[in-house]
Amino acid sequence: MSLIHEQLRAKFNIVLSRYPVDQKQSAVIPLLHLLQEDLGGHITLEGQREVADFLGIPVAKVHEVVTFYTMLSEKPRGKNHLLVCRTLPCALSGCESVINAIHTKLNVKPGEVTLDGKFSYEEVECLAQCHLGPVLQVRDQVHGNLTPESAIQLIDKLGK
Amino acid sequence: MTDFQKYLTKNFDNPAALTLDGYVASGGYVALKKALGMQPVEIIDLVKAANLRGRGGAGFPAGVKWGFLAKTDGPKYLCVNADEGEPGTFKDGPLMEYDPHQLIEGVAIACFALGIHSAYIYIRGEFYNSIRAVERAVQDCYKKGVLGKGVLGTSFALDIAVHPGAGAYICGEETGLLSSLEGKKGMPKLKPPFPAVKGLWGCPTIVNNVETLACVPHIINVGADAWNALGCEKNGGTKLYCVSGHVVKPGYYELPHSTTLRQLIYDVCGGTKPGRTLKAVVPGGSSSPILLPEEIDVRMDFDSLGKIGTMLGSAAVIVMDDSVSMVRALHNLLHFYSHESCGQCTPCREGTHWLHVILERIVNGQGKIEDLDRIQDICGNMVGNTICVLADAAVLPTQSYIKKFRPEFEQYIRAGKRVSLLGGLIETVPVGAH
Ligand SMILES: Cc1cc2nc3c(=O)[nH]c(=O)nc-3n(C[C@H](O)[C@H](O)[C@H](O)COP(=O)(O)O)c2cc1C
Ligand code: SF4
Ligand code: FES
Repeated sequence: MSLIHEQLRAKFNIVLSRYPVDQKQSAVIPLLHLLQEDLGGHITLEGQREVADFLGIPVAKVHEVVTFYTMLSEKPRGKNHLLVCRTLPCALSGCESVINAIHTKLNVKPGEVTLDGKFSYEEVECLAQCHLGPVLQVRDQVHGNLTPESAIQLIDKLGK
Repeated sequence: MTDFQKYLTKNFDNPAALTLDGYVASGGYVALKKALGMQPVEIIDLVKAANLRGRGGAGFPAGVKWGFLAKTDGPKYLCVNADEGEPGTFKDGPLMEYDPHQLIEGVAIACFALGIHSAYIYIRGEFYNSIRAVERAVQDCYKKGVLGKGVLGTSFALDIAVHPGAGAYICGEETGLLSSLEGKKGMPKLKPPFPAVKGLWGCPTIVNNVETLACVPHIINVGADAWNALGCEKNGGTKLYCVSGHVVKPGYYELPHSTTLRQLIYDVCGGTKPGRTLKAVVPGGSSSPILLPEEIDVRMDFDSLGKIGTMLGSAAVIVMDDSVSMVRALHNLLHFYSHESCGQCTPCREGTHWLHVILERIVNGQGKIEDLDRIQDICGNMVGNTICVLADAAVLPTQSYIKKFRPEFEQYIRAGKRVSLLGGLIETVPVGAH
């Protein structure tokens, strides 16, 4: 059974139509985003193979893209994947204590998933929301002006 | 400064402008209509005369860059750089999220002036809201004849597509961006050839920042003289400044290009927090050399900052008060650069790595005074020896932090203790540090 089911294939075809017919490889990042979302947060080797076949390119080219970009992952992620900013402007606003609180609360290392599968987190570089620092992002939601307490409240809320 | 007329951000409090009809009601697409009745070369000359400087970091005159686009009968492209990733910068996101049509109008005018029929907007992958807003606006435009086979009823055809990134600072560098748009790793390429000659899929390509293109409709509307009058010599128009760090009111502010750094920090952002004093300011994104409090009476335009040995870059002002350890601040940035180096060039890959390692050692209280000279040597081997200027972007702040705060670095090393970034507290060295 194909991972690129009918509905996903329809979306893939819309994306593909944006590029010249002889430049299909250009679609690889948008397609991988769609597949990763469909697979619940990470891209399996099987998925990479299918995207490669869909585009008619070697799987190695898909693989090197998956490993180069931080938003694409081969490893499973938690249902809520927290991107916590660590760069200077957020650090000036006190993100270190927020990161420590998240680490203690979730009790896993960056990149690992909590036992219940609900959370993983990653320290990332500037999320371009520096005036709201300390900042974390969960999918399309940006949470700013965090304190250790408010970060923990947020995790409690997301975990419900 | 508060009664100043806004251009780029005038629709930010007007959610109706997210729709095509609402944008038109706010005076939108009048400039495009006007431009479609002009000669392409007239538009390019107007943008040149308006002294529109590229807002992505280098400040290169947009009209001059447009003039470099190679003539060809084959395809050529416009790529919008919306990868916003320079630490401290957060202006392109709001420009797309709150007024997507302003960008589309700028893109359409630029494409008409350049005879381009296909544009890609490369948006940072984490910007879900911007991607959504621009995609919706683009679809609206196709439905109502602003984009597609005949733009606003003329014979000019234009397609615009949104392309998401996936997390890599280096894709903000224009040739890295093009590699990424071709579906590859975001590796920069050696210039020349410049993208204007050989860019996307080997075709002539113009890469411009979001804010640069967002200025274009206003230039068409008000004309070169009025646009110049909003700014200062050779720096036309208004400018979006991003202020983060230790001020009372951090945020993005649209102001005349002639605003000084002191006005920005004290009059606009309310100065440092009560009880604190200013220690240092990064004027133009993390890659720009740092300034001391006595250096902030400088105009925030590309040339004035250049004259005092730093740069406007992406206009990202990072303010640090007297609670900050400059050693820790530099260490934080070197982590960034060593993480973001794409690794193609040995001097950059190795240089950023070793700078970070040495700073880590100093931070943990195990540094030596000689390390400061070692850092200089490493820096000397990095500049000018690489494919793109990320290596320089790591070296410039490194050299300036150490030059301007040398006694603090020496004192930190002599004390031999790990001190917190803020507040001067002694910390324990994390397990596993050397
Ligand atoms: C390491 C690096 C990162 C960059 N990041 C960005 C970015 O995020 N956004 C941007 O517009 N320009 C960025 N630039 C500048 C681009 O290479 C390019 O100069 C710019 O997009 C040109 O547009 P402009 O002329 O309108 O400024 C970066 C440059 C370098 C060297
Ligand atoms: S200078 Fe650094 S980031 Fe730029 S191409 Fe070379 S290795 Fe990559
Ligand atoms: S430094 Fe955290 S969002 Fe920019």
